[in-house]
Amino acid sequence: MTTSPRFAHASEAELARILDYYKVAWQYEPHVFPIRWNPDGVVVESFAPDFYLPELEMYVELTTLKQSLVRKKNRKLRHLRELYPMLRIKLFYARDFRALLLKYGRLDAAASLIGIDGQPPPRRSGLEEGGPGAAKPDLSPGVVAPAID
Amino acid sequence: MPVAALEKDVAEILIDEATLQAKVAELGAAISADYVDRQVTLVSVLKGALPFMADLMRSITLPLRIDLMEVSSYGGATETSGQVRILKDLSSSIEGKHVLIVEDIIDTGLTLNYLSEYLRGKDPASLRICALLDKPARRLVEIDIAYRGFLIPDRFVIGYGLDYDEIYRNLPYIGVLRPEVYGGE
Repeated sequence: MTTSPRFAHASEAELARILDYYKVAWQYEPHVFPIRWNPDGVVVESFAPDFYLPELEMYVELTTLKQSLVRKKNRKLRHLRELYPMLRIKLFYARDFRALLLKYGRLDAAASLIGIDGQPPPRRSGLEEGGPGAAKPDLSPGVVAPAID
Repeated sequence: MPVAALEKDVAEILIDEATLQAKVAELGAAISADYVDRQVTLVSVLKGALPFMADLMRSITLPLRIDLMEVSSYGGATETSGQVRILKDLSSSIEGKHVLIVEDIIDTGLTLNYLSEYLRGKDPASLRICALLDKPARRLVEIDIAYRGFLIPDRFVIGYGLDYDEIYRNLPYIGVLRPEVYGGE
């Protein structure tokens, strides 16, 4: 088992444990996608999906905030899909994650992981290796941007 | 506790007994047609798939073999180091055999993905999947389902082998559990 990165939210750590358990390789926030530029072409808004599952070529975004608070994230995700239609991305809402924990009999965990704000995001430079098959963040030239969700 | 006492916890019957049995017969007929020149080994995953397996095997009109597996679930894992464990492995070799995994329900696909990889490592001649229920809303891993019973919505279902806290498996239909039973909204 490799060292886990510093997750922005406890629910992300729980999902990483679930993926580890079922031996699904994952990377934590390995890619940052710019989604908005100013007139000078400078990136002013980006989106970094929480997980990339390399064997499945799929991103997973986990949002355990209350539904009323996820409009902004939905907008960004819609924008991401418009700009990068080839990306496969799965959004897990609070209700999805709660149902997942219920499936595993982890209601106690659900109560403490859902409907709360996450901890402040860690410094991106501080990310360490993730789970099986995890790689260091692959930030291609020109895709690093200041406003990361 | 009599079954009637369980029914008060059922918010809605999603698939009634007659519809279930008709679908199982339909799946059995399709499998019988497809494997007419091959001997199939049905591999079922305890515990939820047990009623489906029992009915499906009786609806297949060919000689067949069966085997059972049980794998640990994430919910029983200890904090951080847990990985899937095979609680009960196959009783016989499947090398060179035509294997059909019989599952009750597929939602994330994580368990079945693990199991498929595990069984592929045993060199079967073929490996396919038959699932009674397919709940695609929370799918994380794409699963190629050769035989699918029903597509169902993203609700917590019980009965016909499916449990909540190990109860309700003996209901003869697929029902939706009342959210208040598990403290839901």
